[in-house]
Amino acid sequence: MSPKAVRHILPPRPWRVRAAALLAAAVGLLIAAVLWAIVSAAAGQPAAAGSRLDIAHLVRMTALQAGLTTVLSLAVGVALAWCLNRLRFPGRGLVIGLFSAAIVTPGIVVAFGLLSVWGRNGWINRTAETLLGAPIGNIAFGLGGILFAHVVLDAAFAARVLLARLDAVPDARLKIGQSLGLGPFRRFALIDWPAISGALPGLAAIIFLLAFTSFPIVLLLGGGPANQTLEVAIYAAVRQDFDLNGAVLLALVQIAACSFVILAASALPPVPTSLGPTAGQRWRDRPVAQLVQWLVLAVCLVGFLAPLLAVLADGVSAGLSVLAQANFWRAAAASLVIGTLSALLAVTLALTLGMGRAASSQPLLRTGLSLPVFAYLAVPAVVLSLGFFLLVRALGVAPGSAAPYVVVIANALLSLPFAAATLGPPIEAIARTRGKLIRSLGISGLRQFLAVEYPLIGRDIGIALALAFCFSLGDLGVIALFGTQDFQTLPLMMYRALGSYRSNDAAAIAAILLVLTIVAFVGLPRLVERLSNARA
Amino acid sequence: MVTFTRLALAVLAGLASSAALAQDKPTLTIYTYDGFASEWGPGVPLKEGFEKTCGCTVNWVAADSSIGTLRRVQLEGETTEADIIVGLDTAIAGEARATGLFAEHGLALDNLVLPGQWTDAQFVPFDYSHFAFMHDTDSMPEPPTSFEELIALPENVKIAIQDPRSATPGLGLVLWVKAAYGDRAGEIWQGLAPHILTVTREWSESYSLFLEGEVDMVLSYTTSPAYHILEEDDETIKAALFEEGHLPQIEVAGILKSSEQQDLARDFLAYLTSQEGQAVIPTTNWMFPVVDLGGKLNPVFATLPQPEKSLSLAEEEIAADSRAWIAEMLAAMQ
Repeated sequence: MSPKAVRHILPPRPWRVRAAALLAAAVGLLIAAVLWAIVSAAAGQPAAAGSRLDIAHLVRMTALQAGLTTVLSLAVGVALAWCLNRLRFPGRGLVIGLFSAAIVTPGIVVAFGLLSVWGRNGWINRTAETLLGAPIGNIAFGLGGILFAHVVLDAAFAARVLLARLDAVPDARLKIGQSLGLGPFRRFALIDWPAISGALPGLAAIIFLLAFTSFPIVLLLGGGPANQTLEVAIYAAVRQDFDLNGAVLLALVQIAACSFVILAASALPPVPTSLGPTAGQRWRDRPVAQLVQWLVLAVCLVGFLAPLLAVLADGVSAGLSVLAQANFWRAAAASLVIGTLSALLAVTLALTLGMGRAASSQPLLRTGLSLPVFAYLAVPAVVLSLGFFLLVRALGVAPGSAAPYVVVIANALLSLPFAAATLGPPIEAIARTRGKLIRSLGISGLRQFLAVEYPLIGRDIGIALALAFCFSLGDLGVIALFGTQDFQTLPLMMYRALGSYRSNDAAAIAAILLVLTIVAFVGLPRLVERLSNARA
Repeated sequence: MVTFTRLALAVLAGLASSAALAQDKPTLTIYTYDGFASEWGPGVPLKEGFEKTCGCTVNWVAADSSIGTLRRVQLEGETTEADIIVGLDTAIAGEARATGLFAEHGLALDNLVLPGQWTDAQFVPFDYSHFAFMHDTDSMPEPPTSFEELIALPENVKIAIQDPRSATPGLGLVLWVKAAYGDRAGEIWQGLAPHILTVTREWSESYSLFLEGEVDMVLSYTTSPAYHILEEDDETIKAALFEEGHLPQIEVAGILKSSEQQDLARDFLAYLTSQEGQAVIPTTNWMFPVVDLGGKLNPVFATLPQPEKSLSLAEEEIAADSRAWIAEMLAAMQ
């Protein structure tokens, strides 16, 4: 559809566009202020020794790793979504929740879960040793290890988003397809592909950026400085060399590289998708295809869920004595409050930007409104942390008391791309498929949201809330410099336990975090869906 | 929803300001690293002990690492709230001193028991231990006795170390190899490279790899086994002693020039190095005390094997060349 044609469909919503533009500008300003704060702090520092970094090499290596991760994750994600869409079995909801839990669990927890399964001393090697008399070797380290860990994290997320698109294919289409007797391949090509292809560019951009800026996993599983990313180099520039100018330069290189990917992804025209889960038209594929689906699912279950089960098993066997500590409950309360607030903020931001984007037909404006979604992924965490710290000080606020607010904002920005990837396509779809009707009825923007959009995307809002909530349960990178003894969240407590030899306590907290994540993932979407249905 | 948000904001504000302190007492603000201020670390008992006599409130502010605390005061400069930094070490003391932010401590410090003489006018030592590779006697009953023996082992013998750019033990290993081998350090790193499974950002990650059995040895401290003996009743984790000698990590504290409470800060450092303050350190930070605690030192510490030879490097040399040495190590890893 050409922009011109679209303009005649869309109901005019100037306020939505304005609100989104305002938000986009605010996020842009925030990033600019962060960089400016660092540059002006650098002006007061003596010039650091020249950086010896080969930036071109770093960008090449990082891009290669991220590119491979993206292709593999999308391929696995599509396959997994395809299987889950076709198959019905008891516990399916729980499995879907578990798959999605990987991406929001702290990277280091997943990495150690992977090692428990695939490492030298892991389940698989031990079993192989007992059965075959020899271990199969350590595959969890090096570039292979990085890719494996990233695919476990990202493919499951991709599958979650794509599954929602597949589940939304209208019954009517399925009925026609079924009556035409489409085979599994033609069914995928004619019915599934059009439903998911609209979500792929956004997903690819997110996965690429996640892998491009991945930090703990690359350091732990990469096997050392040979496998570095730009993000690691930036960390070194800030921490070791205290070369703030160099850090800003590297950060700009990373932002430029990431923006290129983001622009490429968002320049693609949106593909209209359908909405909401359908009544559950059952159409089984042929037995051979079903066999393949069960196989793929089984492999993914072993590959993806085993590391998470390992985390749970380690936590339980470590003993849950940590539950008896008052500090644990304070940390848990802080985590829950922060998770809830940043989830609400992230979903509000995603809805505002998404609705503004859907209400505008100018390609340039649309691209501009999709950029801030990726702000957090493009700007290195250590630079954000440093910049936030300097900004808070420039405002005259004590960093210790600003820490919780900064964490809420940073976590909301962190989960924004995921919330936007979940909410963006259905909002676009509403604008394109019901725009004409809304326009002709002359419904106001508010009523459009309450009567049309909210009931239709309620479940997606729930998913986005769950994602954002869990992300902020897991992330703390941004307050590295802010910390006080009194402010502590669960992941921070876990890191502190690890740093004090208390690996048992750390394992227990990791398991508890994972359980919280899964509960949120399975529970929140259902809760919100029920609320939105009650309203509709 | 609005009520909830308001409630949540109130809770959030409460979380942030639970450090809101009684105004009649002076507050001593001390920057340190995470582990030191955690509920398991020495920060809690030190605060309790010092507050009994000082008529003040001790406020720990924990950054993610000791180098993080230094970077924070460098950023804050004269306007820093910190009166003291606790937890720098001798490897970064030169860089810290060069910032010109630290005042003289003015303490006599004549009863210290440390590897080498202590003459530093600005930094006060509060614990130490020698860097060493840990091994598990179940899986590696006969550990190597030198870097060269480690290098000569089959390539499937793996070790985990830390990145010298982010973790103080990682930097310590670079200095240790340099102190032991001088110009041959590059060669040693080339030899070690195939054995290095991974280089982690923090000590805790590589130590976890070791505990999970993913590596045979990990860079830590000669005092690390004390934790496993005392807290887990596990005697199988031991430090391998190397013939070349070992480099100690000496952790130090310093008073900021910008502090308006120089006397109170000095009192804290005196307390930190007193018998009472030092008695807290061994079983919370798992390092040796810097004074002779006599019977108050847990007897397990006396059973830990210690290197015969303690190596050292001059601070000026570290400040001038550590970057080149790190580059040498990184080049060998590529």
